[in-house]
Amino acid sequence: MLNKKQTLRLQTLLGLCLVLFAILLGRMMYLQLWRGEYYTKQSDGNRLRQSRIIAPRGLVYDKDGKELVNNLPGYAVVLQKQSDYKPETLEHISQLLDIPVADIKKKIKESRNYYEPILLKNNVSQEMVTKIEEQRRYMPEVMLSVQPIRNYPYKELAVHALGYVGEVSSYEIAKGLFKNVTQGSIVGKSGLEKSYDKILRGEDGSFMEEVDVAGNVVKHYDSVQPVPGKNLQLTLDFRLQKALEEFTDKHLAYLRNSGLAPRARAAAVVALDPRNGAVRAMVSRPGYDPNLFVHGISSKDWDRINNDDAYPLNNKVISGEYPPGSTFKIVTGSAAFELNKVGLNEPIFDGGFHPLVPTMGNAGGEVLGWLTFISALAMSDNVYFYELGNRVGIDNIAKYARIYGFGQKTGIDLEGESRGLVASKHVKREIWDEDWRLGDTFNAAIGQGFNLTTPIQLSVMLSIVANCGIKYQPYLVDSILNADGTLFEKPKRAEGKHIDVSQQTIDYMRQGMSATTQEGGTASYFSQLPKPIAGKTGTAENSHGRDHGLFVAYGPVDDPELVVVCIVEQGGFGSTAAGPCVYRAFEEFLKEGGWMPEGKPDQQAGGSPAEPVPAAQ
Amino acid sequence: MEIKRILKNLDWWLISAVLILMGCGLGLIDSATHSFAVSTGKAWHVQRQSMFMVFGIIMVTISLAFDYRMLKNYATRLYIFNIILLLAVMFVGHSQLGAQRWIQVGSLSFQPSEFSKVFLIICLATFMDKRIEWLEEFKDYLPVFGYIFVPWLLVMRQPDLGTSLRFIAILFGMIFVRGFKYNWFLRLGVAFVALLPAFWMVLKDYQKNRIRVFLNPELDPFGSGYHVIQSKIAIGSGGLLGKGWLAGTQSQLNFLPENHTDFIFAVAGEEFGFVGAALIIMLYLIIIWRGIAIALDADDNFGTLLAVGVTSMFMFHVMVNIGMTAGIMPVTGVPLPFLSYGVSSLTTNLMLVAILLNVKVRKQNLQF
Repeated sequence: MLNKKQTLRLQTLLGLCLVLFAILLGRMMYLQLWRGEYYTKQSDGNRLRQSRIIAPRGLVYDKDGKELVNNLPGYAVVLQKQSDYKPETLEHISQLLDIPVADIKKKIKESRNYYEPILLKNNVSQEMVTKIEEQRRYMPEVMLSVQPIRNYPYKELAVHALGYVGEVSSYEIAKGLFKNVTQGSIVGKSGLEKSYDKILRGEDGSFMEEVDVAGNVVKHYDSVQPVPGKNLQLTLDFRLQKALEEFTDKHLAYLRNSGLAPRARAAAVVALDPRNGAVRAMVSRPGYDPNLFVHGISSKDWDRINNDDAYPLNNKVISGEYPPGSTFKIVTGSAAFELNKVGLNEPIFDGGFHPLVPTMGNAGGEVLGWLTFISALAMSDNVYFYELGNRVGIDNIAKYARIYGFGQKTGIDLEGESRGLVASKHVKREIWDEDWRLGDTFNAAIGQGFNLTTPIQLSVMLSIVANCGIKYQPYLVDSILNADGTLFEKPKRAEGKHIDVSQQTIDYMRQGMSATTQEGGTASYFSQLPKPIAGKTGTAENSHGRDHGLFVAYGPVDDPELVVVCIVEQGGFGSTAAGPCVYRAFEEFLKEGGWMPEGKPDQQAGGSPAEPVPAAQ
Repeated sequence: MEIKRILKNLDWWLISAVLILMGCGLGLIDSATHSFAVSTGKAWHVQRQSMFMVFGIIMVTISLAFDYRMLKNYATRLYIFNIILLLAVMFVGHSQLGAQRWIQVGSLSFQPSEFSKVFLIICLATFMDKRIEWLEEFKDYLPVFGYIFVPWLLVMRQPDLGTSLRFIAILFGMIFVRGFKYNWFLRLGVAFVALLPAFWMVLKDYQKNRIRVFLNPELDPFGSGYHVIQSKIAIGSGGLLGKGWLAGTQSQLNFLPENHTDFIFAVAGEEFGFVGAALIIMLYLIIIWRGIAIALDADDNFGTLLAVGVTSMFMFHVMVNIGMTAGIMPVTGVPLPFLSYGVSSLTTNLMLVAILLNVKVRKQNLQF
């Protein structure tokens, strides 16, 4: 029989066992009830694999339906989500894809979703695909996923308007610059790709599978089909765009090689329809190949593009700010007529300089004698416009500059547009803290000094003149199409508004610009074209080198359908530097309209008159 | 008359708990080996386990005809046989998972260390029973320690950490009940801690690793830590009611390795949730409670010692195995009695149940 002590010990043993059982039960409660949800996720993470089906980005067409941007099939390398990875595997991937292990770890850390694979590298080469396929059994967590790759078949063509795409950066995600993106998403980085990103991107789909420990698929779950991005039909005219780019390149080369403008590398050309603001061509030089960015730009290419002092990445049409030069005389002239400070046939004497500021005269010291408005604009006389400036005053010049749209964004559907600057007393005070002088007014009257405009602003000004006073907002996207090609919607555009300048005044401007391209004007070679074209030359003073050459034109004169603005940086006189590009644009336009016989534009860069003798600037 | 008396004195609580656990075990083994059974077209594990279950139950029934006291007469022979068996493992055994534990006899391979725990309980109970009157001072216990040291060392040499710890659990259970002073336990504990570095040196690399990984499973998420991580996921994801029989993704998709043997409890936790896990724990609690009750009720010291030895054994298995699957004990390769697949383990555990029942049934001073 047991003694008391042994009985007590046995009872103690039972008590001890009860405590241990309580611990086990408590542990179960902790794991299954308290932490149940966490472990459920972990177990789902083990067995579920979600793959993203990337929605193809919308295509981009020119106005006639020509594909300017499309997608090619490609592969992305992704890493299956796990709670942990073997160091050897990461090391291996790092060597294979040439990504530092630290970067891979960062990507792993940044991805939140439990089942979604981590994107390691977009758009890998065929060679890499083969390599990865061969080595997959050593690293089953690495997978290839099919992915549409953005493609720009015409490379540089219209790159500044179209833009390019790239992987969304952590900064962009953190800042919330894009909606519905995750690490690895492809988004628009510039141009229309960026401004219409939401429409082009579409919605990614996904599918889920259940796998066993060896990675064999056991079960398929319902998938979410991707919604392809919407397509864009642009206002751009492929033929005109291509012709202008080719010609501009040739012409710039000609300017450099002939010694006329050895440093002429940068230029901007924009052509639009004055009747609605539809941009037909947008050229900025130098350009670059957007495909480089899609494929992950090499540091060599990046350095070349980024360190170029002519800034290939900038869209000079909307962000380049230049003194408008003599093209601004339209503003000064409009102000003078509107305020009744001059009559159409009122002669003003040009004695080579203005009597109130005798140091200021014409370019090249010319003396043109008695002039009326039409001939003064056609020959781009400075003294005449000094006098007009003197009569209306700087405040009115600034007022009419703003009426024509200067000093404010045009609102074109691209990001990164500049405002430019309208010369005024206020501006001078702010920049130099100096009093306004009459000489400043004279400078402002002929578009020098403080005035700064972008090519797109000039095109708007010119459209107003061409369009008898109605101002439209320029735009690039004509319509948004569904993936099947049917119309989804036409982006809403502001209605055209008649600016506060009389019909009569606008008529005078048109007459002056028409005379510019006739015998005796500064761009008389335009008279060779089968339809009359009205234009205006400009030469913008540049303190950093040779003057910028400008040319603006619209045509045909009686019923304008096209406005073209061209600026050649450090190109010298407007008529020689910029005029030929505009001439070529109208040549192409007239051919398309059937007003001119088709055929190769005769000879080289100067085929269109590249070396006409400029008149007084 | 005899049969009537036996039936009347059978511990039906204990029998019910064991039968229910074995039934659950079959269900869980079926689930854990489901994919294997489907691919081979034969529920091999379930068939084998149930075969040995029937065999074991018959064995238990027959054993009731004998009196447990006759075991005393075989103690010395069993002790020697045990040592021979353990030596045999060292020379002819084949190894699995880095340890020599198996012996092949014909088409049967079995684990001698499973049987040696039964022998050890009988031998140790006999040995202590003979000296029961003299076990007063600490030095009186030294022969007991010496007696168990030889088989213990042989088990350690296999190496089989689980079984060697099992021996210690049996020993401690018995001397605790005999009246080994708390103070002495404390001193042994201090001595153990002092010897820990030396002990560490004796451990095999894989054993050291298991302990390291137990302290931090994330250390080796693909090696030894993998089991525990996956097992915790399995249990935790079961939630309150579980994912349902044959529907545990961790077990069915093989994320949980060895799920029909050492990690069977994780299958229960995953497929039957907290309700299932708690039920199983309660059934073990019944076995332990009955074991101690039988020890209290036994009419001789030998019976008490046997019952305590068996109960300590079960308690050790339950605590270490469930603790391991739940991540609060190191991975030691200790199966869960009546649930884990394994015919050696099943047979020996039923032998232990037979001993418990016998101690109860063979009481002399019964109140008629």
